[in-house]
Amino acid sequence: MQILKPHFKRYWGSIVGAVVSIIIVAVSSLMQPRVLQYILDNLLKNDRQAMFHDGIVLVALAVVGVLAGITNVYFAARVAQGVTSDLREETYRKIQTFSLSNIEKFSASTLVVRLINDMNQVLNVVMMTFMQVLRVPIMVIGAFIMGIITIPRFWWLQVLMFLAVAVTLGLTFPQLGKMFSRFQKKLDKSNMIAKEAMQGIRVVKSFNQQENEETRFNEVSDEMNDLNIKIGYVFSCLLPAFFLICNLGITAVVYLVGLNVENNPGELAAITSYIGYLMQMLYTLAFGGMTLAMYARGTVALRRIKAVLDTKPDLVFAKDAPEVELSGDVEFKNVSFAYPGSDNETLQDISFTAKQGELIGIVGSTGSGKSTLAQLMTRLYDPTAGSVKVGGVDLRKVNEKSLRQAVALVLQKALLFSGTIADNLRQGKRDATTKDFKWAAEISQAAEFVERYDDQYEHLVEERSANFSGGQKQRLSIARGVVGKPKVLILDDSTSALDARSEKKVKEALEQKLTDTTIFVIAEKIFSVMDADKILVLDEGKLVAVGSHAELLETSDIYREIYATQRTKEALDEGEVLENE
Amino acid sequence: MNDFKIACSYFWKYLKQYWVKMTVMIVLTLLATLFQVLAPIYMGNAVTELTKFVAQSGSSSAAGFMANFYVALKWMAIYFLLNVIAQFIAWMIMSKFNADATNNMRRNLFAKLQRMKIRYFDTHQDGKILSLFTSDIDNIFNALNNAIFELVSQGALFIGTIIVMMSINVKLALITMASTPFVLIIALVIMSKARRSLDAQQDEIANLNGYINEQINGEQVILSNGLQQESIAGFKKYNQRVKETMFQGQFYSGLLFPLMQGLSLLNLAIVIVGGIWLIVADAVNTAAGLGLIVMFVQYSQTYFQPITQLTSIYSSIQLALTGARRLAKVEAQAQEDPVPDGQVLTGLKEEVALNQVHFSYDKGKEILHGIDLSVPKGQMLALVGPTGSGKTTTMNLFNRFYDVDSGSVTFDGVDVRKLTLESLRAKVGIVLQDSLLFTGTIADNIKYGRPDASDEAMVNAAKQAQIHDFIVSLPDGYETQVSDEQSIFSTGQKQLVSIARTLLSDPDFLILDEATSNVDTVTEEKIQKAMDAVLKGRTSFVIAHRLKTIINADEIAVLRDGHVIERGSHADLLKLKGFYHDLYTNQMVLD
Repeated sequence: MQILKPHFKRYWGSIVGAVVSIIIVAVSSLMQPRVLQYILDNLLKNDRQAMFHDGIVLVALAVVGVLAGITNVYFAARVAQGVTSDLREETYRKIQTFSLSNIEKFSASTLVVRLINDMNQVLNVVMMTFMQVLRVPIMVIGAFIMGIITIPRFWWLQVLMFLAVAVTLGLTFPQLGKMFSRFQKKLDKSNMIAKEAMQGIRVVKSFNQQENEETRFNEVSDEMNDLNIKIGYVFSCLLPAFFLICNLGITAVVYLVGLNVENNPGELAAITSYIGYLMQMLYTLAFGGMTLAMYARGTVALRRIKAVLDTKPDLVFAKDAPEVELSGDVEFKNVSFAYPGSDNETLQDISFTAKQGELIGIVGSTGSGKSTLAQLMTRLYDPTAGSVKVGGVDLRKVNEKSLRQAVALVLQKALLFSGTIADNLRQGKRDATTKDFKWAAEISQAAEFVERYDDQYEHLVEERSANFSGGQKQRLSIARGVVGKPKVLILDDSTSALDARSEKKVKEALEQKLTDTTIFVIAEKIFSVMDADKILVLDEGKLVAVGSHAELLETSDIYREIYATQRTKEALDEGEVLENE
Repeated sequence: MNDFKIACSYFWKYLKQYWVKMTVMIVLTLLATLFQVLAPIYMGNAVTELTKFVAQSGSSSAAGFMANFYVALKWMAIYFLLNVIAQFIAWMIMSKFNADATNNMRRNLFAKLQRMKIRYFDTHQDGKILSLFTSDIDNIFNALNNAIFELVSQGALFIGTIIVMMSINVKLALITMASTPFVLIIALVIMSKARRSLDAQQDEIANLNGYINEQINGEQVILSNGLQQESIAGFKKYNQRVKETMFQGQFYSGLLFPLMQGLSLLNLAIVIVGGIWLIVADAVNTAAGLGLIVMFVQYSQTYFQPITQLTSIYSSIQLALTGARRLAKVEAQAQEDPVPDGQVLTGLKEEVALNQVHFSYDKGKEILHGIDLSVPKGQMLALVGPTGSGKTTTMNLFNRFYDVDSGSVTFDGVDVRKLTLESLRAKVGIVLQDSLLFTGTIADNIKYGRPDASDEAMVNAAKQAQIHDFIVSLPDGYETQVSDEQSIFSTGQKQLVSIARTLLSDPDFLILDEATSNVDTVTEEKIQKAMDAVLKGRTSFVIAHRLKTIINADEIAVLRDGHVIERGSHADLLKLKGFYHDLYTNQMVLD
């Protein structure tokens, strides 16, 4: 709850409104049996004057009750919406301070669930609090007191019944809670089986496994059914038990009044309203129990949100670092790196330098640490040992804005956001003009298809960029990388979906237009980086060789070996072509 | 109305086998309602006797009133008790058959989905199909639990009260019911308003969800471009809209309860005023008139209770009806024909062939325009062509994921539609591009097609598929728990597992959709070896992307716009200097 507290302050006006109106609702409900009692009294006495007066009071009570009820719903919804949307924003802001490893630790999908589903749980709890929960104590205590005022000598009966209901609820609800959470787990499991059977329907069918899938699903479904029946049985006992307590109470009241009616004839007229108060007390109590069960779910959700808010970003940029223009010199000095929670070092003792304007190739097989190297250069992670410098400044001391302006990273998985092409390109340079877009799109070979659209750079990017092919996405992603004219540009296998001709064109354009930029090209294949000024060869996290293609062929066994295997394959294919021609 | 009928017949289908239990439950519920109405009457009697006793106190008849009081009290207690017992039994019975009926719906839904045609899955989103399980069945279960009981008991209470009121005094009964149409109109207006706002709310939540999902999954781009503030600004817009629409939804759906309570009280005031007016206007005897009003004060409250209750379960009934309609729609979907009387395919002897095959997913939009292809036993046919040329479609025809519009697919000259579906699929193996792992152990996954296979055979298949070494390097080896989402296996390795799966099931005819994803040289080598193993000695049809696979094929068919435009060996096709030659010199960028 304490994470909600600061947000309540902004809505104190609505909170006061909700609280006051719920008190009015409760009080008017409490007055209702009493007024009815008066009306009946006066009817019997045939006192029309008084009856008319009471009738007006009853109508007034109804009107006040409705108005206060509506006011309460209004303010409660205001508070609930206000508080949760503020909390959601706070949580989202917090997530935006996270580093990549923070996010990976939670996983993107759980973060989304926390921001949407958990937040809705919280919303229900807040709404309930201001609509019902405050009403419960007022009504229970009020009805209790009104009951004692009506027939004082039955106080012990009221206490007894209160305890009977409270104990019944107290005994069953925890059990029910456990059953519900067990049911939830089964439900998740059955959903998983159903989901896999949907997504893998071709596999299921082609292996004739429909019946096995059914058995698997039915097993869980039957377990769910057993739980459902059990829960149903508990409710089948719980509800009649509750009514039994109420009915026993009513019978006891009538019996007790009858037992002593000679001495207390006045109690006769009070029976109806007394029973009215008894029922108000017990029903509200039972209702309070139900809301409590909802509360339990809400607190779980709050705890999950709190876990996000309590997380410390594990990578923070120095606030006092001055904004400077960084040059394109890059230096790695004895850099080692292990992903958080992993003992294996993904990179081990890497040192190299790159001068502004150089073209650097990085090759190695999957898992050799190429992409990690790129992530360190953009400070998505900090090295576990050693230092990374861009423009001579250690990244731990660099100004965030300066680094973002200087270094651009283009990923293999071209991620575009829904919006327009221009929106996406502007992510690389906030104040980019159409001229900038054109310049960047020409380099990345995106211009040829973008400029064919009527709306050109205002063309929509759909969700999951479904309206672009893999190659188009990569070209746009490269355009986003170059539009800010970065000092350092890292292409992490980002031309994999382009055909050879386009890839070559992109490369040529980069070399001509970005002469001042240090370009890192990360690739699986040596052919993609053969003409680089310097090639870094990575193998299992170690930098095994550095040099130009020609130098490496001379000096590095590993390089020669990789080159040889890749070449033979190509040569073989090439040879066959020649042979056939 | 038609929709309503569909939903009702769906419910009837699942509930009719419980008709005995249902009848018992309904009778018990009616009894419980009757006892619920009777008990207060005896309570009233008891109070009356007590009043008489007090008035006559001291006289000889007093003892008689007291005795009457105890009789009335006894009956009141008995009816209270009977009410509770009837309720208890009714609910016990109901909980069981409701749960069982829902379970049958759930099981049948899954079984149905397993038997439906691939077309359904290709044209419906997984998420929407899944929501049948997650939300529709759930809505039905909740409604069955609440609604049936409430409908019966509150309906009985409502009608019963009207009958009793009418039998006592028609005028006052009409006064009591006079406001009902207005009340119902107000309730309906609010409910439809609430529903519309709730729909709008769902839409806005979906939008926010989409935005957050995209942003957080693209966090690497946001971080490396320093776009956090922009991302927050975008978030605020969506969040604000959610806030506004949700406020409306909550406000309108929250209104109903206090409003109905207040209206019930107002109606009470109307009844009292009306009663007094009756006494004056009709010059009814005052004593009798007073008794009338006392009674109608009670009845007015009993009369309003069902209205309040039924309006509050209205939305859950709506949801259940919608759910039943959706489920009924799925149950009405076409099923695959298992061809139970068909010929059993025992093995391939000569060839698999496509003869003059025309195919369209949607009528009028033909995808394949008369394709002739054949794969002689033991040979490999590679299909190449640009995106959209119809490669995947062709692949779908061999094991009858789809059926041809005209022409035929034949195994040794027998049309696949004349073979039992099970024997056809048992002989046709398929390795798909996106390999999928099922939750379970690695062993479960490899043995997927042959759960009874020995561990030895499994290991052997894994070895041939070049994935054994990796599996044994895991701490739990073949018993390692995997799921499709978790990342123990890379995309390339998943493909190896699915090749092992196919090797183990040892099909005569193999369809292979080569993965296009970028894998490193080492993995590529392994996939190549695994593919060689699975293709060896088998008749196969390969959608090829890798040059080496294509060159190794016995025959290459080039597909373009639904026509086979070139056929022959690699060398033949290069000599043609046609489309294949173009593709080839353009470095084989096929996807």
